[in-house]
Amino acid sequence: MPNQPAREPTSRAARLLGVDVGGTFTDFVYLTEDGVQIAKRPSTPDDPGRAIVSGLAEFGWTPDGVVHGSTVATNTLLTRTGAPTALITTTGFRDTLAIGRQARPDLYALHPERHPPLIPQRLSFEVDERVSADGEVLTPLDPHELEAVLDQIEATGVDSVAICFLFSFINPEHEQRAADAARARGLSVSASHDILPQHREFERMSTTAANAYLAPVMTRYLDSLAARLEDGVASSPRLRVMQSNGGSLSAASAGHNAVRTVLSGPAGGVSGAFAAAETDGFPQAITFDMGGTSADVALCPGRLLERTDLLVDDMPIRTPAVDLHTVGAGGGSIAWFDPGGALRVGPQSAGAQPGPAAYGRSTLPTVTDAHVVLGRLRPEQQLGGTVSLDVERARSAIAAVAEPFGSVEVAAQAIIDVVNSNMARALRVISVERGYDPVRFTLVAFGGAGPLHACDLADAVGIPQALIPPAPGVLSASGMLIADITRDAEQGLHLSIAADAAGAVPELDGAFDTLAGHARRALADDGYEADVTVEFAADLRYQGQSHELTVALDAGLHTGVHAEVVRSAFHEAHAERFGFSSLDTAVEVVTARVKARHAGFQGDMSVNQTAEQTAPRTIDVRWDRSRPTTVLARGSLSSRLAGPAIITQLDTTVTVPPGWRAEPLPSGSLLLTRTGEG
Amino acid sequence: MAPNVDPARLAIFDSLVSSIAEEMGAALRHTALSPNIKERADFSCAVFDREGQLLAQAAHIPVHLGAMPESVSAVALLAPWQPGDLAILNDPFLGGTHLPDVTMVSPVFARDAADGDDPIGYVASRAHQADIGGMAPGSMPVARELIQEGIVIPPIRLFRAGELVEEALTLILRNVRTPDERRGDFNAQIAAQRLGERRIADLHADYGDDRYVQTAAALLDYGERLTRAQLAQLPFGTWTFEDSLDDDGHTPEPVPIRLRLSIAEDLVHFDFSDSAPQRAASINAVAPVTRSACYYVIRCLLPPETPMNGGLFRPISFTLPDHSVVAASPPVAVAAGNVETSQRIVDTVWGAFNQLLPERMPAASSGTMNNLTAGGIDPRSGQPWAYYETSGGGLGGAPDGPGLDAAHSHMTNTLNTPAEAIELAYPLRVLENSIRPRSGGRGQQRGGHGLVRRTQFLGAAQVTLITERRTQQAWGVQGGDPGKPGRNTLETKTASGKPTRRRLPGKITIDVDEGDIIRVETPGGGGWGAPRRRSSPR
Repeated sequence: MPNQPAREPTSRAARLLGVDVGGTFTDFVYLTEDGVQIAKRPSTPDDPGRAIVSGLAEFGWTPDGVVHGSTVATNTLLTRTGAPTALITTTGFRDTLAIGRQARPDLYALHPERHPPLIPQRLSFEVDERVSADGEVLTPLDPHELEAVLDQIEATGVDSVAICFLFSFINPEHEQRAADAARARGLSVSASHDILPQHREFERMSTTAANAYLAPVMTRYLDSLAARLEDGVASSPRLRVMQSNGGSLSAASAGHNAVRTVLSGPAGGVSGAFAAAETDGFPQAITFDMGGTSADVALCPGRLLERTDLLVDDMPIRTPAVDLHTVGAGGGSIAWFDPGGALRVGPQSAGAQPGPAAYGRSTLPTVTDAHVVLGRLRPEQQLGGTVSLDVERARSAIAAVAEPFGSVEVAAQAIIDVVNSNMARALRVISVERGYDPVRFTLVAFGGAGPLHACDLADAVGIPQALIPPAPGVLSASGMLIADITRDAEQGLHLSIAADAAGAVPELDGAFDTLAGHARRALADDGYEADVTVEFAADLRYQGQSHELTVALDAGLHTGVHAEVVRSAFHEAHAERFGFSSLDTAVEVVTARVKARHAGFQGDMSVNQTAEQTAPRTIDVRWDRSRPTTVLARGSLSSRLAGPAIITQLDTTVTVPPGWRAEPLPSGSLLLTRTGEG
Repeated sequence: MAPNVDPARLAIFDSLVSSIAEEMGAALRHTALSPNIKERADFSCAVFDREGQLLAQAAHIPVHLGAMPESVSAVALLAPWQPGDLAILNDPFLGGTHLPDVTMVSPVFARDAADGDDPIGYVASRAHQADIGGMAPGSMPVARELIQEGIVIPPIRLFRAGELVEEALTLILRNVRTPDERRGDFNAQIAAQRLGERRIADLHADYGDDRYVQTAAALLDYGERLTRAQLAQLPFGTWTFEDSLDDDGHTPEPVPIRLRLSIAEDLVHFDFSDSAPQRAASINAVAPVTRSACYYVIRCLLPPETPMNGGLFRPISFTLPDHSVVAASPPVAVAAGNVETSQRIVDTVWGAFNQLLPERMPAASSGTMNNLTAGGIDPRSGQPWAYYETSGGGLGGAPDGPGLDAAHSHMTNTLNTPAEAIELAYPLRVLENSIRPRSGGRGQQRGGHGLVRRTQFLGAAQVTLITERRTQQAWGVQGGDPGKPGRNTLETKTASGKPTRRRLPGKITIDVDEGDIIRVETPGGGGWGAPRRRSSPR
């Protein structure tokens, strides 16, 4: 970052906590002047804050800043336990959430089904107002009609209301009036021009409805957590929440913008992995998080990429999120034969309950069992310090699918090959399909199963090296701890830059100025006035196209936005992404985006490894064939080690296949490099 | 199982070729210009082996299912091929379906191919172009002859050894209403083709020729096993069913489609011998469209993760009489055959399967795409415009739940164009897009409700409606009621300025004035099971 402010002297003395509440474990990373400490405790899903507060009490930690990765928003959406919410929209569009884009989710289902909308038809209300595509008021909003609708809404007893009028992103006046009137009645209000001022009414309404549905729940949760932290820890820590796009947000803002936190946890993982890669000098990174049921991959070409086309239960959530691709492939993924006789692995997973056969509670043949059969997961190891592995049970589970392969070992390898090919497909989607050559990237593997598959996956897509961060089991929490403090502001525009246009683009300049003001003020309200950098971008497309590319427009902005700069940035981005540009076509500006950023913690994050030292041993492990393989604890590795090798640590196992070598880096990371030998 | 291809290798190869087809689709969609391709995803991409057998297809639109191998066979007349060649076609009687669907096919050569070597495979893409000329904007007119529907492109080379054949492109673009948009969409299709060619060549090089050929063959055998395994679970026998189109757009008589379905061992035969002769109208379906409709129903009966390849279709055979509404021959028009008759063919097959699988099959869905095409000169810019929209309806009630409301069914799954995108791009205003109350057939599980869509014209325009189930309702099953038929209305003003409504037929081309509104109410789906008469209809 060129405009990086000098580190605040205070931050060294600060005691910062990153805490990631997952479905099974709550991970803690605590930073003080004495260094970094990590911990894991079982989550308390009925009351997620309890694990945090009791963990802190137990450890005696007194953070003055807490960055929280929360699954509250996602879980509330998935379990449909949000606030009762009403909708107010333009006459004729009451059913927009139910109709969606009129597609059915599964092309070949005999009986296709859709998730019902968050707001049912009986809580959806219309007012007779209309604004045209150029912002002209065609039908003025009648205050009496509006009040009558609000009377009806109040009578339903809902807590929250979503307001979405057509073309409010161009002229928000009607929405603002409706929002003011609803707030005056004490309702929690989410207005679409505020939540997502962009065109496409269904997507804007869906995002706004989700926010309205989440905001009261999120606000209650965060208020209660903040109060308990003050009581319990006696240090009144400043509470922040990880946003879906990898920046953190004050608790107050996170309550009102709850929809911006639906990917809170995974965003911490991507940020943490990318930060680890940058620290070690590999800014071109692909992050790879493999757990029990799914794997998340994200491409980071020198920066975190964002996407705005997230779907949760088929609901579009268009606020920015880390550009993550998820595939149903994890350690618990179950192997099965389809009716045509092909071996499939996943998406069904044995999960944590009943778990893989090797955990002793099932007979399901899973990826984990395949690793146990091949000797890559060791019976003497204790996964997460809790579960011991039953080799015989794993063998008999895999034997049940081994018939076409001739041996249990060949079947086990086949299961791993298939699950790798599923993940490789996801890696190709995020790299090759977007014009990025994997050979320029480093795979950053974490999660319980990521380091087991890192080298195989790198081989499958042509990535030359993989990085295993020091504490891969709590990487999301450390990503939260170091996350920048950010505020985003967007505005839909309807602006065309002709192919021969030159000079200033005052409309875009004006939008950037306004948005930068908003974003800076929002950060200032959260207490970050100094050392704020502002980044500018725009969603652009060629005239006539209907998908946009988000293009950074930082270069040369100190003299205002120039048509030439916008055009050439877009031509370049389009060529990079799609292989061609269209120099004689006008460029449309669809959305202006501004991000205000205050840098998060950037110091030394290396973990004091509690060095489990064991003497290296050599045992036979099956790779392409059975080979003598070095097995040692990660803490015992002090120099380069040629594969085949298996490196164990408390929360994961790293495999170094033949043709790869492992090398500890000063940061505590492990670098795996393809040598081709062996 | 083919030798040396184990069950894991099969799944991996399937994943690789499928991801190539998907990658082509992503490139096409992202770089196309017209909302029809980008917003509505009205396209498909496919990968073929050297004999033109389908290895993988990324189909967003079932009507394209299994219809692309015909395009690959049709371009065979252009052989021998050179690297860099690329063929284009839309002739429904030579590898196409209807004229707006423009298909590109290109051969793929091995990385180390010598002069004169044959291709190792083909890639193809098909995209519905918003206008391809002819007598009405949007190229979906109420026509009698093919030649009225647009420019007919037989299989020709658009590129020869990597060089654009300029004259061919010039000729095509001179015959369409929005040449710049067409050029952009063609470029997107070309980009997708080139990408697919590179990816297949890479995969082939990676596998080596022997292993590539062997694995591809095993993949097709595997697809065949999947279908046979499913068919073997069905009862043997013969079932008949008949459904009808409302009319052909010119004469009011219904157009019957009659099926005799036979299942024996693990084979299925579709005999459409008794269906209506073709009409001098656009409701005629070419044979590939009819086959797609049948493949679609079979595919719905297969397990969810079934890959899409030509092997799936091997146990399926047909009797399709020439010069019939299900296997049209020149010179009749065919545009509605693709979008409307295809739906009725599905309904007919669906009805037959309902007799042998009553415990699984839902009732009939709305059975129409409610096609609306419009065009004119934009009063704001003076530029010509052409707009195409299809609208969903109610889906059939099913044994385990009601039918979906306001969704596309069966042969299409295109997205609607957002009202805000329409109004930013065209001289149109969308006044209503709502669920049509009480239009689904009543039943123990009701049919889905249709849509009401009202579109206002901000300047004079020509509008064509090609819609169905305005008289013939979507039938219920097991005692369920039929869905409400659709209805088209023109809301206009009399000469004295008084608002008036005029009921429009299902298929019509009309001129509208500034301020006129077209109201399309789409049909509901049929109900499943006898309704409890005393309960409320919703």
